[in-house]
Amino acid sequence: MNRALHVRKIHEYLFEIPPHGKMRVPARLYLDERSLRELMENQSSEEWNALKQLENVACLPGIVKAAMAMADVHPGYGFPIGGVAAFDPKDGGVISVAGVGFDINCGVRCLRTHLTRRDLTGKEEKLADTMFEVIPAGLGSTGELKLSTKEIDRVLREGARYAVRLGYGREDDLEYIEEHGCLSDADPSVVSHTAKQRQMAQVGTLGSGNHYVEVQVVDQIYNARAAEAFGLELGQIVIMLHTGSRALGHQIGTDYLPFLEKATRKYGIEVPDRELVCAPIESPEGQQYFRAVMAGANCAFANRQVLAHLVRQAFWKALRVPDTAIETLYEVAHNTVKWEMHEVDGERRRLLVHRKGSTRAFGPGRPELPERYRAVGQPVLVGGTMGTASYILVGTEQGMRETFGTALHGAGRAKSRRQAKRQYPAERIIEELRKQGIIVRAHGKASISEEAPGAYKDVEHVVEVMCNAGIVARVARLRPIVCLKG
Amino acid sequence: MPYEYLDHEADIGLEATGARLEEALRDGVRGLLALLVDPETVEPRQAVPVQATASDPGSLFVALLNAVLAAVDLHGMFFRDFELTHLEQVDDHWVVEGTLWGEPIDLNRHAVEIEVKAATYGGLLAEENEAGWRLRCVLDL
Repeated sequence: MNRALHVRKIHEYLFEIPPHGKMRVPARLYLDERSLRELMENQSSEEWNALKQLENVACLPGIVKAAMAMADVHPGYGFPIGGVAAFDPKDGGVISVAGVGFDINCGVRCLRTHLTRRDLTGKEEKLADTMFEVIPAGLGSTGELKLSTKEIDRVLREGARYAVRLGYGREDDLEYIEEHGCLSDADPSVVSHTAKQRQMAQVGTLGSGNHYVEVQVVDQIYNARAAEAFGLELGQIVIMLHTGSRALGHQIGTDYLPFLEKATRKYGIEVPDRELVCAPIESPEGQQYFRAVMAGANCAFANRQVLAHLVRQAFWKALRVPDTAIETLYEVAHNTVKWEMHEVDGERRRLLVHRKGSTRAFGPGRPELPERYRAVGQPVLVGGTMGTASYILVGTEQGMRETFGTALHGAGRAKSRRQAKRQYPAERIIEELRKQGIIVRAHGKASISEEAPGAYKDVEHVVEVMCNAGIVARVARLRPIVCLKG
Repeated sequence: MPYEYLDHEADIGLEATGARLEEALRDGVRGLLALLVDPETVEPRQAVPVQATASDPGSLFVALLNAVLAAVDLHGMFFRDFELTHLEQVDDHWVVEGTLWGEPIDLNRHAVEIEVKAATYGGLLAEENEAGWRLRCVLDL
C-alpha cells in the first residue's frame, strides 16, 4: 500500500495517519519531514515495518486517543520501538506482551558524581579496565550474587529495596528510582520456576546488545534551573547504565506469549499481527500477566541497583572515589506497562500505559516525582551511542497533554545489525573512537560492530524533533569518555 | 541455505528451510546457536535434552528456540549442535524433542557473539510448499 497517501501533517514535528481499515484511533508520529521520509524509505520488510506496526497497535481494543511513536521510532516485534499506547479497562482495554517486550522494565540509571573531567585525565584506561573486570557483562557472564529461589522471590516482590537490604547501594538511591524501585502489584507465584532458575546467577549482570555502562562528561547545559535541580554542572562526570530484567524477564515474555494467545482466542479479540496477542486488562489472564510483568519489573530494578553498586566499586578500586561521591540522579525505564492517571478531553482517567522503547517523561507537579525535581519535571534519560552524545531532558506540561507524558528513549536504530556488522568492523570502530578520546571495552565482538554509532539515527536530530514538538526540553548534553559493552 | 538471517532494524530475523519440518526446526536451532557463540569454539562433550510443545508449527518453532535459550542459562552451557529426535502431532498440539550438544561455559575459550533475549511471534511464518518447509521469526536481541 502507498502509506504516504494516508499521512497527514499536523505541524512541523507531528504527523498523523487517520484511522483506516480496523484502526480504532489515529496513529501519530513525532517526526519532521526528513525523518518521516527516511522511515518510509528505510523499511526492510512490510511485516516488520514501523508504520504498519503502529497502525496495528491502533487496532487494539480500548486504545485511547492515538497509537503514538516518538522520533526514535523503528521496527520492533508487534509494537514499534519508540511507541506508546494507553488503554482504558472500561472500554475493554487490553494488556499486551509486545507492548512491554521481552526485556521487561529495561531502563537507564543515571549516576552523578562529585568528579570533574580533570579528575579522570590520564586515568581513563585504568577505569575502563577496572569496570571491565568488576561488572559482569556479555553472554554467559554470571553475577557475584547467587540467589536461591526463595531469595529470587524477594527480588521479585521487593525490587531495588531488596538489593539495598543485601548491601548493594544506599537507601537514598531508592528515592530517585521510578516507583522507588518497587512495584507493589508484583506476584512471584505467577512467574515460572524456569524463569526464576534462569535468573539465579544473573542478578547484577549487564547483558549484551545495546546494554552498556558509560562514563560521560556534561559538555552543555541548556536549562540552568532544571540542571540545578538535577545537580548537574558543566564538566561534571556522570555515569549511565542501561540494562533490564535479564533472563527472568525474557522467560516471563516467553511463558506468557502462548498464554495470552489462548486468551486472545477466548475473548474473541481480533489482532492484526500474532505478536500482538493480548487479554482484557480486567480478565483473570490479563491480571495474571500484569502481576508477572510487575515481578519482572522489580527484577530489573534490583538488577540496576546491584550494577550501580558495582559501578561505585569500580570507581573506588580504580580511583579511590568513595561511594558517597556517586549519587543516583534518576532511574527510569522504557519497556513498561503501568497504571497512570491522565486527563483525556477534560476527563481524568485511569489508564494502562504501555511504553515500548519510550520513556516516561512526566511534566512538573506530578506526585510520582521526587520532591527535589517536582517543580521542574522528571529527568528524561536519552542514551546516545558510544560515539555520540547522550541527553538529559525534562518532561513538560505539553507532553502530559499530548503523549501521556512520554518521550523518546534513545537515538533509535537506523541500520540493521547485519548491515552494521558488514559495514563497521569492531577493530576499526574501537580505533576511531579512541581517536575521539573514547575508550571502549566489550566482551562480544558483535556488540561493537552492531552498536557502532553509524548504525543509529542522529541523536541530535531526534532530540531536536522531540524538543521542538514541545514534548520534552533539553537540560544537559553528555559526551562519552569510557564505554563498557556486553 | 538451511538457515538464513534476515535484516531487521532492531533485532534479527531467522529463517530456516528443510524438505521436512524436522529439518527446518533443526536448522533453525542451529542458526540460533551460531548467533550466540562461534560453534567451532564449543566442544560437543555433554548432551542436554530439550523439549517444546505448541499448538501449531509456527509457535512450535518459537517455543523450541526459547527452550534452547533457557537451556543455556539453566545448564550454564554453550552448545555446538542440535539433533532433533522426535516430532509428533498429538490431537491439537505439536511436541518436539531433541538433544543439544555442548559444554559448560568457558569465557576464555568460547568466542561469544551476542545474547538473544527471546524468539518472538514477530514476522512469524510456517509454511509448507513443494520444496518443503519454511519457518521464520524475529529474535529479540
